[in-house]
Amino acid sequence: METVGDSGKGKVRVLIEKATNSTAAEVDPRLLKAIKSVVRYSDSELRLAAQTLMDHMKRDHSQVRYLTLLIIDQLFMRSKLFRTLLVENLDQLLSLSVGFRRNLPLPAPPAVASVLRSKAIEFLEKWNDSFGIHYRQIRLGFDYLKHTLRFQFPNIQANAARIQQERREREMRSKEILQNKFATLKGNLSSIKEEVQSTLDEIGECLKIVHTEKETIPLGPLDDEDFEEFRSSELRQIRLDSLREGEKIHENSENKVVFDALRELYKLLVTKHLVSVQEWISVLIRVEVSDNRSRDSMLKEFIDMQNRLQTVKKKCIELGYALPDTTKREKNEEEDFWEEGKIESFEHESSNALNKLNDNTSVASTSGEVKNKSPESSKGKANCNQSQSCEHGGADSSSLRSKLLAEAPVINWGTFLNNWGSDQVFLANQRGLELESHWGRVDYDAVIPAEKIAELNIRRTIYEEEQVEIQPCRAPLHKGGLCQRRDLRACPFHGPIIPRDDEGNPINKSTSTSDTILDSDLLEQLAKQAVKNVRDRDTEDAKKRKLDKQSQKRAKLAKIREHNEAVLRDAALASTSNSAFVGEEVMATTGGRSALNKKESLASMLHKKESAKDRLAQRLLNTRTRDATIRQLTLGEDTNYREAFPNQW
Amino acid sequence: MWREIRDREAGKTRPNSFTNRIKSSRIANLHLSNYKDIVSPHRGSINSLQVDLTEGRYLLSGASDASAACFDVQRASDYEGRGLIAKHKCLFTVDKQHETGHKYAVSSAIWYPVDTGLFITGSYDHYIKVWDTNTSQVVVNFKMPGKVYRTAMSPLATSHMLIAAGTEDVQVRLCDIASGAFAHTLSGHRDGVMTVEWSTSSEFVLITGGCDGAIRFWDIRRAGCFRVLDQSKSQLGRRPPILSCSTTNKVSVSKALSAGQSLSSKPRAQQKKSAGGNGIKQSPLCRTPAKGPVRQRLHPGMLSSQDRATAHYGAVTGLKITEDGMYLLSAGSDSRMRLWDVESGCNTLVNFETVRLQTSKAIQLATTQDASLVFVPCMTAVKAFDLWSGMTFRTFRGHYEYVNCCWFNSQDQEMYTGGNDRQILVWSPSRLIANDMDMQDMGPAEDQDNWSD
Repeated sequence: METVGDSGKGKVRVLIEKATNSTAAEVDPRLLKAIKSVVRYSDSELRLAAQTLMDHMKRDHSQVRYLTLLIIDQLFMRSKLFRTLLVENLDQLLSLSVGFRRNLPLPAPPAVASVLRSKAIEFLEKWNDSFGIHYRQIRLGFDYLKHTLRFQFPNIQANAARIQQERREREMRSKEILQNKFATLKGNLSSIKEEVQSTLDEIGECLKIVHTEKETIPLGPLDDEDFEEFRSSELRQIRLDSLREGEKIHENSENKVVFDALRELYKLLVTKHLVSVQEWISVLIRVEVSDNRSRDSMLKEFIDMQNRLQTVKKKCIELGYALPDTTKREKNEEEDFWEEGKIESFEHESSNALNKLNDNTSVASTSGEVKNKSPESSKGKANCNQSQSCEHGGADSSSLRSKLLAEAPVINWGTFLNNWGSDQVFLANQRGLELESHWGRVDYDAVIPAEKIAELNIRRTIYEEEQVEIQPCRAPLHKGGLCQRRDLRACPFHGPIIPRDDEGNPINKSTSTSDTILDSDLLEQLAKQAVKNVRDRDTEDAKKRKLDKQSQKRAKLAKIREHNEAVLRDAALASTSNSAFVGEEVMATTGGRSALNKKESLASMLHKKESAKDRLAQRLLNTRTRDATIRQLTLGEDTNYREAFPNQW
Repeated sequence: MWREIRDREAGKTRPNSFTNRIKSSRIANLHLSNYKDIVSPHRGSINSLQVDLTEGRYLLSGASDASAACFDVQRASDYEGRGLIAKHKCLFTVDKQHETGHKYAVSSAIWYPVDTGLFITGSYDHYIKVWDTNTSQVVVNFKMPGKVYRTAMSPLATSHMLIAAGTEDVQVRLCDIASGAFAHTLSGHRDGVMTVEWSTSSEFVLITGGCDGAIRFWDIRRAGCFRVLDQSKSQLGRRPPILSCSTTNKVSVSKALSAGQSLSSKPRAQQKKSAGGNGIKQSPLCRTPAKGPVRQRLHPGMLSSQDRATAHYGAVTGLKITEDGMYLLSAGSDSRMRLWDVESGCNTLVNFETVRLQTSKAIQLATTQDASLVFVPCMTAVKAFDLWSGMTFRTFRGHYEYVNCCWFNSQDQEMYTGGNDRQILVWSPSRLIANDMDMQDMGPAEDQDNWSD
């Protein structure tokens, strides 16, 4: 019995331990479920769980507290016993989760701590809403935090109520609007009906007229005869199409008036009546009025009206199917006109440009038509016979124009465009003012030559800096969130700006290590270079010396040099080993750090994230490194000394 | 419980023991009351709480925002949460807005012990004011030489109407309501006086505790203090019960026996008798035959060595005398509680397991009627100690800041506590079963287990 109890007791404790020992932002749902199921069937387990959770809340790590708080909330919302147990120590729980006591601040990782605080406050509000009336302690705690310490509560319930209220008000308002609409509709129902009816009647008459004309065209019996001859469905289709084509009434000069009227009416029907009827129907559907009968009858009428309109519309499309087409073409034409007008000005300019180009070179001769057109259009500018020229240039030139347009550079407007390519000379002294030679003789025939004008009107552009989106630093901050500083290359607080993921971790994590490796490489290289330099100098010296003392003691010198070289080699070896040692050390530390980084644990969360500054400081201020550098530097002096006094070492 | 009632009905248990049993079981069940809320109108810390001594119904509170308020603890002003929570709003409040109100924090608010027609407030603005409860107007105004820390009126007094005031000043002043002047000035303390307490066995004996760590006993009919408690003078444990004591040496203590008995059964009656004249002879404090001559010799000007004795290291912040007037509890800024035998003036060496006590303010202790438990504000919690063993009996956690005062209402077995978090909390025994049933009927069934999985 006891052993069973012990093992059971172990269970919930182990489960809680496992659930809270994680760096995730959520409790593992499986573990949570396991805890709940264990605790559900045993009060002693629940007591133990409450005890354990309170113990965990005292841990000196915000992440543990956060996860514990999440579990507490889960159990709190479910178990009455748990509530009564927990409520006894609510002030303690709050001080551990909200950290409102000045002498008991929330522990490290500050980011998690802030999340913990906000979550705790949210939970407290939730608890107060659901269980406040049963537990004085919850009310007290809530009251204290809210009114004495003036914490900002999310106020979820009040917000929800407010939103609800707003929605209700909006609904009320829309209902009122609908009512008003309904009232107006009631008022002028008959007039609407009349209007629609008159339009329908007119359309009907128009159609009748058209039909009477149509009847003069013979059709009908012959397709029945020929029908069977067309075996292939495609052929039959073609046949049917052609027949239908034959049925259509084409617009001609005689019935043009009728068609115009029909078009007008159709447009009216589609754009006004159909739309308005639909609107009224929707109003009628949505509105809520006391007398449903009148509303229903109105609705019925409107639906009938809509149906009639639809059928008429269909008939129009079917019978005079050219109608929508013609309107479309009309529209196209309209648009064409408009477009033409727009392009005209451009043409007027560009043609000049083209002329100029033609004068200078023959490169711009893209097609013959352009040449044709440009004088024409310039002529058209004069006589304003626009439509004709358009008709003339119409469809075939449009492709060319579009091609040209596609090619043409888009430039900002400037005064230079005003007399683009004009060779005119300006009379300098004829401005419409009678100057009366007030300030001396005036030469009225003085001209400003074209080159001068061209010079004056030289095209200028203002340099506009390209707007570059400067990326924010996005390094994680202690208080949570990401650094929003925008610097071009390096943030003064977080080092060079590197791509980071959503949590602010650098995307290529190896940068730190690789960069240190690189650094160590660099160090090695430098050391080697130094050695090489020394050697070079040494050889140079040796050469000089050789020249000086060529005659005497050549053999001895050679020996000394040999000796020197041997010593230098040693020295170089030593220095390289030193630098290698430095590099190794750095490597070792960074390796250790990267290993730490890799294994993310609760302890690692407490570590401060290293910035470039830290790394630099570590590198530069490390005593061993400093010693090594000093050693390296003195080594150079040493060699010099040895050089100077080769016999004294 | 039903068995007990049946026993009582059958006469197997005596009425006294029955009530005592019920009371003690209720006291053992004290917890933060969910169905009784006192809506505190104060915007500062609560410094003083007292329920009136006549009806046990009106709670008077004094707070740091210079206000005092009165609550009816028996009848709620309105209900909340579908009748589950009774809200006790204040009946009236006197604060800075009042034309004669206090300017600074009210450190002490007490009822006139005879009825609820008057109450007395002492404030840091150097004034002690006597208020008419019904009109909430100031009746008498006393200007004190310094901040008033504590005021007290004797619950037994029949021959005088004196307010004892402990102030910043070294002198303890007794203010006479009847004449509106200072009747006495008791000097002896070397520093401000934090607490004052009237003896519950003699209407003329006043006990004061000062910031100099001394607890002094005064007989207001004579000059000077007649006893200074010394923490080094101790006796081990509780005084042997009077009955057994009397059997062992009947002759010497027979007078004490009679006095003690009458004291424990009906002190008021005894005092009424003594009020007639020679109180000093009848006062139990002065009648210990063995100590009598020594004390007599010492009294007018005590030996300087005895005069310098201290009861606590640091200030004495709280004093409470048991209902029978035989023991005195003191709390000091050295975070110690001491239980003194009033008769011998000895420290009984009961080790109270206090953790820490508030040091900067006077605290208000409370005892149960039978002196079995003492309620002590210990920082943010209130602890109930067993008076004779010093063991922690219960810890009442509920306040979010330091608790300054508590009051035990022995009539309803309820405790009221007030703290720096401006709340007045009610601690009450759980309701009777019948009430529980009622509550379940009308209360929403929300507070149940709700396992979704």
